[in-house]
Amino acid sequence: MSGSRLRIRNEFLASLVFLAIVALLPLWVTSPYWQGLFIISMYFALLAIAWNLLAGYTGQFSLAPTAFAMIGAYTTGLLAYHYGLSPLVGIPAAIVASGAIGMGLGRVVFRLRGPYLALTTLAFAEILRHVVRNAHEFTRGEFGLRVQALFDTHLAYYYVFLLLLAVVQTGLYLMLRSPAGLYLQAIRDDETAAASRGVNVVFWKTTAFALSGAICGIAGALNVHFAEIASPQIGHIFETGLVLASAVIGGMGTMIGPLIGAFLVEITSEQFRALGLNHMLFFAFMVIVIVRAFREGLWGLVRLALGRRRAGPARKARPAEASGS
Amino acid sequence: MLTLEAILVGLIMGVFYGLMAFGLTLIFGILKVVYFAHGESFMIGAFTYSLLALWLGVPLWLAIPSAILVGGLVGVVVERLLIRPLYEKFGDWQAMRDEYAIIVTFGLSLFLVNLANQVFGPYPFRGPELTDVARFQLGPMIIGGHRLVAGAVGVMVLGAAYLFIQHSFWGKQIRAVAQSRFGASIAGIDTRMVSMLVFALAGGHLRLRDPDPGAAPASAGAVRPARARGLR
Repeated sequence: MSGSRLRIRNEFLASLVFLAIVALLPLWVTSPYWQGLFIISMYFALLAIAWNLLAGYTGQFSLAPTAFAMIGAYTTGLLAYHYGLSPLVGIPAAIVASGAIGMGLGRVVFRLRGPYLALTTLAFAEILRHVVRNAHEFTRGEFGLRVQALFDTHLAYYYVFLLLLAVVQTGLYLMLRSPAGLYLQAIRDDETAAASRGVNVVFWKTTAFALSGAICGIAGALNVHFAEIASPQIGHIFETGLVLASAVIGGMGTMIGPLIGAFLVEITSEQFRALGLNHMLFFAFMVIVIVRAFREGLWGLVRLALGRRRAGPARKARPAEASGS
Repeated sequence: MLTLEAILVGLIMGVFYGLMAFGLTLIFGILKVVYFAHGESFMIGAFTYSLLALWLGVPLWLAIPSAILVGGLVGVVVERLLIRPLYEKFGDWQAMRDEYAIIVTFGLSLFLVNLANQVFGPYPFRGPELTDVARFQLGPMIIGGHRLVAGAVGVMVLGAAYLFIQHSFWGKQIRAVAQSRFGASIAGIDTRMVSMLVFALAGGHLRLRDPDPGAAPASAGAVRPARARGLR
C-alpha cells in the first residue's frame, strides 16, 4: 500500500472513531442547546469537507461553499413555499440543483487558477447572495423564508446529520483511494504534468466542483429544515470564513481535519459569543498563525505527537524522498 | 445641469476608486500576490484620519499624512510577517504559493474588519470636512466643497504616484522587479526592499475619502465586490 493510501486510510479510520464518539454523545448530552450546537457543527463539518475536497485535494481554491449551501437551502425552501412540495422532493431537488450549478461553475472556471479562481468564485457567491436578497418578491429577501421542520426532536436531526456525515466521509474515502482520488491530487500538485500523463483535467475538475456543490447543497437543505428559516445570511462571506477556518485549523488536505476543525470552531465560537467576545477575530487570527507557522493544522499536531512524522503529506515528503531518506 | 453635476461627482468617485486600484495593482501586478485585505487597509486609513481628527483634534494637514503613514506602516508589517515567505522560500513554497497568499490575506481581511468592529464598534464615523466652504459654484454647476477638494487632492496624489513610478530611482526598481524578479536581483536590486516598498506604497496610498459613508468597518466589505472586479 502506498504512503498516500495508508495515510488516507488512517485518517478515515480516525474520523470514523471521531464520528462514533459523536454518535454516543447524546447519552450524556441531553440539553437541546448542546445538541443543536453539535448539529450546527456537523453542518459546518459537511461544508468544510466539501471545501476540502476542492481546495485540499484538487487544489481548486473556491470561495463559494456557503453559496452552494444557500442554493440547497432555497431550493427546498422555495419549492415548499411556492409549490407546496414536501421536503422529500425538496431535498433531492436541492442536491441536484446545487450539484448542477456546481458543475456549471466548474465548467466556467476550469481555465482559471489561483487568485483568478478565488475571485471568480467569490464574485459568484456575492452575486448570488445579492440576487436572493433583492428578489424579495420571490424569495422574501432579508425577511427570511419560513421552512417547515422535518422532525420534532433535535435527536432525529442529530442522527440524520451524523448519518450523512458518515456517508459523505465513506464516499470520499472510497473515491480518494480509487484512481479518481489520485487524478484529483495529481491536478492539485501539478496540473500541466497531470494533463501530460493523460488525466482528463477538465472532467475531473468539473466533477470535483459538482460533488463539492452537491455536498454543500444537501448540508444547506438539511440545515434549513433544522433552523426552519432560510435567509441570504447563509451565504455571507463570514460564513465562508468560518468554513475556511474549520478546514485550515483542523488540517487542510486531510480527511479528518475539516471534521475536527468544524466542531472545534463552532463550539469555541459559541463560547466566545457567550463571553461577549468577537469569535471571528479569534479565528481569523488562528487561521493566519496556522497557515503561517504550521500548515498541517491540528491534525498535523496530533500526528506529530504520535510520532508519525514519516507519513507526512505528499508535498512535504517530496524533498525527503529526493534526498534518499 | 444635474447631468453635468452627476458626471463630475462620478469622476471624483472614479478618482477614489482609481487610488484604491493603484494600490491593488501595485501588489498584484508587481509582486503577483493576491491581497484580499486591500479594502481593509483602505479602512485603516479612513479610521486613522477620522479618529485622529475627531478624538485627538489633530489638524487636517497632519491627519492626512498620518493616515498615509499608518497605512504604509501596516503594509510594511504585513509584508514582513506574512508575505515575505512567499519569495524567501520560493522553491518549496511554489506549489502552495497562491493558496497560501489567499488564505493568509483572506484571514487578515476578516481579522482587520472584526478588529475594527471590536475596538471601535460597528458605527460609522464621519471625519471632518476638508474645507469650510459647503458648496462651490463652478460655472453652472454646484458641488460639495469637501468633494471637490478631496477630488483635487486625489488627482494630485495619482499624478505624484505616476511620476514616482515612472521617473524616480525607486519607481524604476519597482518596474524592474515587475518585469523579472530574478533579473532585477542579478542587477543588484534589493528585491526584498522593493517588495516592502510596494506594500508600503499600496498600504499608504492615500486614504482620502468622501466622508459621506464615513469610516465604518462595513465600508471595507462594501469595497470587496469592487476589488473583485478590479482584479479580473
